Amino acid sequence: MGSGRRTAASGGKLTPMPADIKTMTRFRFRLPSILLILTLLAVAGQSQSTRAQGIDSTLVLRYQLAESYLRAAQFDRAIALLEGLVERSPETYVFFDKLREAYASVKRYDEAIALVDRRIVPGEAGTPLRAEKARLQYLKGDEEAALNTWDETIRQVPDRPGSYLVVYRSLMQMRLFEKAVEVLEYGRSALNNDELFQTDLAYLYSLTGRHADAAKEYLGVLEENQRQITFVRGRLAQQIEQEDVLEASITAAEAGVRRQPLNRAFRELLGWLYLEAERYEDALDAHRAIDRLEDEQGRVLYAFAQQASDAGAYSAALEAYEEILQRYPDAPSAPEARRATGTLYERWADRSAEIGDASADSLYREAMAAYGRFIEAHAGHELLPEVHFRLGRIHREILMDFDTAEATYNLILDLWPGSSAAERASFELARLAVLSDRMGEAQTRYARLADELRTGELAEAARFELALIHFYRGEFEAALSLTESMKENTSADVSNDAIGLKVLLVENRGPDSLDVPLRGLASARLLVRQQRFEDALAATDEVLAAVGNHPLVDELMFERAGILVSLGRAEDAVSSFKEFPLIHPDSHLADRSLFEAARIESEILGREADATATLTRLITDYPGSLLASEARTRIRTLRGDGT
Amino acid sequence: MMHRRFRFFALLPLFLLLSAPLRAQDVLVPMDETQSDHLKAYGVTFWTLTQGMEADWLLNYRGGSFLLPAEPAILNELRVRDVRFETLSGSQVAGILAEIEREDSNMSTVKLEKAPRIAVYAPDQTLPWDDAVLLALTYAEVPYEMIYDLQILEGELANYDWLHLHHEDFTGQYGKFFSYRATAWYVEQQRQAEATARSRGFRKVSELKSSVVETIRRYVGEGGFLFAMCSGTDTFDIAQAAFGVDIVPSEYDGDPIDPDAITRLDFGRTFAFQDFRPSFNAREYEHANIDAGAPPPQLRDPVVDYFTLFEFSAKWDPVPTMLTQNHVSTVKGFIGQTSNFRKAVVKPEVVILAEAPGRDEIRYLHGPFGQGTFTFYGGHDPEDYQHFVGDPPTDLNLHKHSPGYRLILNNILFPAARKKKQKT
Repeated sequence: MGSGRRTAASGGKLTPMPADIKTMTRFRFRLPSILLILTLLAVAGQSQSTRAQGIDSTLVLRYQLAESYLRAAQFDRAIALLEGLVERSPETYVFFDKLREAYASVKRYDEAIALVDRRIVPGEAGTPLRAEKARLQYLKGDEEAALNTWDETIRQVPDRPGSYLVVYRSLMQMRLFEKAVEVLEYGRSALNNDELFQTDLAYLYSLTGRHADAAKEYLGVLEENQRQITFVRGRLAQQIEQEDVLEASITAAEAGVRRQPLNRAFRELLGWLYLEAERYEDALDAHRAIDRLEDEQGRVLYAFAQQASDAGAYSAALEAYEEILQRYPDAPSAPEARRATGTLYERWADRSAEIGDASADSLYREAMAAYGRFIEAHAGHELLPEVHFRLGRIHREILMDFDTAEATYNLILDLWPGSSAAERASFELARLAVLSDRMGEAQTRYARLADELRTGELAEAARFELALIHFYRGEFEAALSLTESMKENTSADVSNDAIGLKVLLVENRGPDSLDVPLRGLASARLLVRQQRFEDALAATDEVLAAVGNHPLVDELMFERAGILVSLGRAEDAVSSFKEFPLIHPDSHLADRSLFEAARIESEILGREADATATLTRLITDYPGSLLASEARTRIRTLRGDGT
Repeated sequence: MMHRRFRFFALLPLFLLLSAPLRAQDVLVPMDETQSDHLKAYGVTFWTLTQGMEADWLLNYRGGSFLLPAEPAILNELRVRDVRFETLSGSQVAGILAEIEREDSNMSTVKLEKAPRIAVYAPDQTLPWDDAVLLALTYAEVPYEMIYDLQILEGELANYDWLHLHHEDFTGQYGKFFSYRATAWYVEQQRQAEATARSRGFRKVSELKSSVVETIRRYVGEGGFLFAMCSGTDTFDIAQAAFGVDIVPSEYDGDPIDPDAITRLDFGRTFAFQDFRPSFNAREYEHANIDAGAPPPQLRDPVVDYFTLFEFSAKWDPVPTMLTQNHVSTVKGFIGQTSNFRKAVVKPEVVILAEAPGRDEIRYLHGPFGQGTFTFYGGHDPEDYQHFVGDPPTDLNLHKHSPGYRLILNNILFPAARKKKQKT
């Protein structure tokens, strides 16, 4: 049966537990009983000499028997034995307690209450007993009597915090959180001490949805001991996924900071809460204040700026970096902050460019300015080559200022030869050489890099670029040979590109030893890479007119349509891409041409209905296409599924 | 008025003739091994019904295929959802139907007319385990609404034809996740349940759940369809048997169980199980001895653990046939808090749909109650052999052909079937 195989859920399973924890669990349950019996025996042993409680071994044996009955769920027998024991030795607490427990186990609450009542000594506090009586009354269903008894328990000894705690715990057993709050609040008021029960109340307030009050209590904890910040954060972290908890906590923390502006723990808590709420400007204020108050010399601000930058909160991060540089220009973190400012602007600009935001240009300029300031201020710093490399990247990729980019990369090679930045600069110089049609120089640089580095991503990339140069030159055997050596690591993009090039070379040679169609395609691709699109179009048209029915015709037509897009002739490109599958229905590019046509229709021409129709054509005519899944997703996006 | 009082009894041949497709052209959605996405095929069929069109379910024909009208919108939807289909001419359709109608073939046709309104019983709170029912419906793009205790007690079940539930605990013991009692999700689950109970005037969560169970019981009795999985199966029946009896250990509700709880259980109230014994150990991750637990150690392996689907007469037992439609006859096993039902505690009138071979254990069962029906399916996640707390949900994009998930989706179309004409 299940219970034989299933044990505790401690393994965190929704499925059965393999471990036999049951034995351990039994042992754990029995351990207190065993200890209790040993204690009783010890007491019995003592009593033989002292007669302190008058317990003899017979009573102990009967107690043990009663316990056995309880374990076997023979409650009536156990209770009869225990009643006898209590009668014989009414002052022995363990007998009383076990009988009370036995009564409660079978819901004989009246008898349990009477038993507890008999043990309460009139005129004495008896706080735990009264609280237990109240609990039994509640279990019995007599809620009014229970509440009265709990109140009475406190009234007996109202000047001791322990009274309130005993009642609070009793109420917590019954999960009467609201009443528990009342008791602790009353206790705090009666004892005129607002610092009492802070963590208990905070927990209770959280449980009852009084999040602002919970936060106030946690602030009280911090006021007492600022080192408790980790504990408080840990407690709140469990709750703040709920928006109302976060807001309430922030409000309370703000009030706390206003009340005690010099309390670092308050400000740390507030700063953390702002970050959790993604209120980065407010978080900056909080961290700035800590930095100043504690004379952290920008360390707190720097940590904040990194967090904000990673989260894409560029404005707040930038402000933090600038403040570090303004206030602590000589601090150890200043150079890093200055470089990080440039990186931040660059990242910000990249993101703006991705979404077509017009601010991208000015952000790139700011990035360059920041890098320039770094170069000016930190001559000889170890980050200089990297900063120059970033500048080179902006000149090359963004501003298309190839001359300046080239000069920058050459500077890196001159000043920091052998550095990682120099290796990457050399690679970029080779790319620039390709763009400028200095193929010999490009070939030399790539070859040197591949030889020097031998392994690694940059070496592989250099090898592939070498293969491409051979391809552009029509040196197909050399290109093929290089791609052969690159097929080892197919997980790398560059290896996959190499395989693509190899397939192109293997399948499209001929029809004679001149390889005219393939040379034409290679030439067109180089012109495209050099962004000479008009020339590329003319070259493609020329080859197409010359090659007749060569297998590369589809490749060339596809290339041509792509060149039309680059020339801004989107309508012509769409027509070409859509016409393609009609002419070459079995081409491996037929589905891709439809996909491209749909992309231009939706992204450039804004004709979403046409794009949907084109994609539908793709999945209808080419259901096995590798692009079918993406086409289906795009159709769903275009028609608004799930919105 | 709910549209769920459909029954399937005799006179099937006449019904089949009356309901035979008469469209000029149809598309066959094959559900055999050639299907590109078995799970989404259910979704497209369901979608067809939501568009006011009818469909035919060809029971036992190529894995339980669907015959849909060859409307452009349907074809488009099939393509967009990547569901394989075959366009058929009228004569091809007639040929298929003739093959199905042959007396010696164990096949039949069921007309699907109206998309059932589906409710899934699940809390708003995100719990750290996946829900196979929600995963199946979401992946298949079958629309559903989530309801929970308050909505059920406020009578919202009347708005639905079909109620589906998964890893639930109707006994009020919070899934018996005792070792998790200090974790945030458990505390929140308990807090919400207690708040709901108090808001409805119940002292304990077990009393709230008992009332919910009673409401669902009435719903089924009046013609509702209930599908339950994992612990949603046995805890539902335990709660029914324990109506008015405290079987919840003090660790969960603060007071002990009724001393005479065992003798007061009323098995006459349950749907599927009888003569079982609830587990009163708060730390035992089991609610009763209904569940046979995980397979024996030598079989506790996804490679060798499986269960077999029973074959029914498609012409005379269309309901169990519908519920067991699949492209395989053996389905790989999977474990849950409740995995397999011990045969000894299953009521004799219950229809066994699938069982673990050689183990006297039932995996999948079905039965009538009043005007409605219930279907219980053991295990937690058909594509995650042992789903642990905190494990990520299964990505059904990787399990498009899951036979185990197909069994869940068979249930959503079952209430869409046309009520059969009664013999006069």
